[in-house]
Amino acid sequence: MSQMTADSVASPSGATEFIAVRGVTKLFRQRGRTVEALHDIDLSIRRGEFLSLLGPSGCGKSTLLRVIGGLHTADRGSVTVGGSSADTARAGKQFGFVPQAPALVPWKTLAQNVRFLTTLHRGAEVHQVMNNADIRELLSTVGLAGFEKAYPHELSGGMQQRASLVRAFALGAPILLMDEPFAALDEITRADMRYLLLDLWERSNTTVIFVTHSVTEAAILSDRVMVMAAGPGRIAAERIIDLARPRHAEMEDEPEFHAAVRQLRTDLREHHGR
Amino acid sequence: MRIEPVIASVHQAPGDPGPPGPAGSLSADEAAILAEFAKTPRKERFARVARAIAPAIGVVVFLAFWQVSTQLFDIQKFVLPRPSDILSGIKDDPGFYIRNARVTLWEAFLGFAIAFVLAIIGATLMAHSRFIERAVTPLAVLIQVTPIIAYAPAVVIWLKFGIKPILVLTSLVCFVPFLINGVTGLRSVDPNLLELARSVNASKREVFWKLRLPSALPHLFAAARIAVGLALIGAVLGEFFAGVSSGLGYSVKYAQSHFLTLQLWGSIYVLALVGSVAILLINGLEKLTLHWHSSQRH
Repeated sequence: MSQMTADSVASPSGATEFIAVRGVTKLFRQRGRTVEALHDIDLSIRRGEFLSLLGPSGCGKSTLLRVIGGLHTADRGSVTVGGSSADTARAGKQFGFVPQAPALVPWKTLAQNVRFLTTLHRGAEVHQVMNNADIRELLSTVGLAGFEKAYPHELSGGMQQRASLVRAFALGAPILLMDEPFAALDEITRADMRYLLLDLWERSNTTVIFVTHSVTEAAILSDRVMVMAAGPGRIAAERIIDLARPRHAEMEDEPEFHAAVRQLRTDLREHHGR
Repeated sequence: MRIEPVIASVHQAPGDPGPPGPAGSLSADEAAILAEFAKTPRKERFARVARAIAPAIGVVVFLAFWQVSTQLFDIQKFVLPRPSDILSGIKDDPGFYIRNARVTLWEAFLGFAIAFVLAIIGATLMAHSRFIERAVTPLAVLIQVTPIIAYAPAVVIWLKFGIKPILVLTSLVCFVPFLINGVTGLRSVDPNLLELARSVNASKREVFWKLRLPSALPHLFAAARIAVGLALIGAVLGEFFAGVSSGLGYSVKYAQSHFLTLQLWGSIYVLALVGSVAILLINGLEKLTLHWHSSQRH
């Protein structure tokens, strides 16, 4: 299963493959025209990895995320998660999804919201759902202690997005799918959220697939960045970010970080505008 | 709100009674600003009282105008009675009005409830399938645009005298607002939430009960407010045609044919009261259930 393929985008250093994307092509029909949102994508992700999909809008990064999560079906190719199909993994509640908007349930309190995914589709609990004490601790870690009885409209945008993160972690799913979760936040809040996410990720042993259009965000968060390009959506480059863990804000001043950012920018520029 | 007394106490600090003079540590400008602050509570209290009684003012002015002008122009009581006469007429025989109001209220409530249940079922099917929605919408429009007064006698001929045609008419007029608002409401779920539910493979039933129905509530409350008035129209009109011998609609019809102007107006007043109380109840229920919704904030 961990066999290296001839492609340049095989799993790094032969580590055990957890998620395998093989030759995935996804077509969308728009006003009678067929658009190739994803073209022949190969990708291999190991357990516990933090992988970013970086690219301009329209490069298919969100679509790829949804194909991996079984929310879209591929027109060609296959996705396997721990050996089974993406749909089976979805049915087994293997994915914690964090959408771009916080998407909290407006009539539920914060405490009810962070347990919302757990309460849906009960009986598929094949993994460890967080207990109440752990959820309480998680809430205080993200600075939401004391707000358990608050409704979403009483929370700021940053607090709502933190609640959305806690909701995904509370599910206890082995894989987190994040679709530009911080894009709607202001720059200062966003910087805090990045390190908060890294903190939560390091405590758990989840695999994260993180969609972003921010070069610095991809560089500071990821073990590996897949740079994507549009028309058709494809993986243009693969970069391993060799910064030490745990990462912290001071690293953003180090030359290694700047080198990684420069490399990703060059990749993006090279493949932009077909 | 809690800040007010604090500011007032700053303003009236010991040794600085009344308007602060030059001896105070505050400059004249600051003192003026603080004094303005200290005044706001009274203004605000007045504003709050004004807001609370505002809804009653229109009704009171209207009734006063009616009272005064009927006296002024000396309009005969059997043509257009004065509000004071109408009210004392109700007071003279409250049992009569309560008895008949209960009949009409029960018919209106049953029709309203039947319409609600059927419309929710219909709206669920329509929200589920665009085809069903396209097929059913014209029928709903037909029901809505056809004057109820035109088909009321036909329904009575078909279902015979009694409560049956009254309930059919009442639920028919209430059905459309519930249906249309229900479809809109069930479709108003945040698409991000729907995708989130799908990401953990939530069943259609869960999505309906946990996301769609609660999202539809604001729309259903709006429909309920419209339907209250329609339910009373349906019930009263039904009583006109259905050969029954009780209810406020029957009382109106009887009073008209026997020139009992006071009883006619008394029945109208009681109908207006019943409708208003129903609307108030719905508003209260809405405040309780929809505290999370933006329509309940100001």
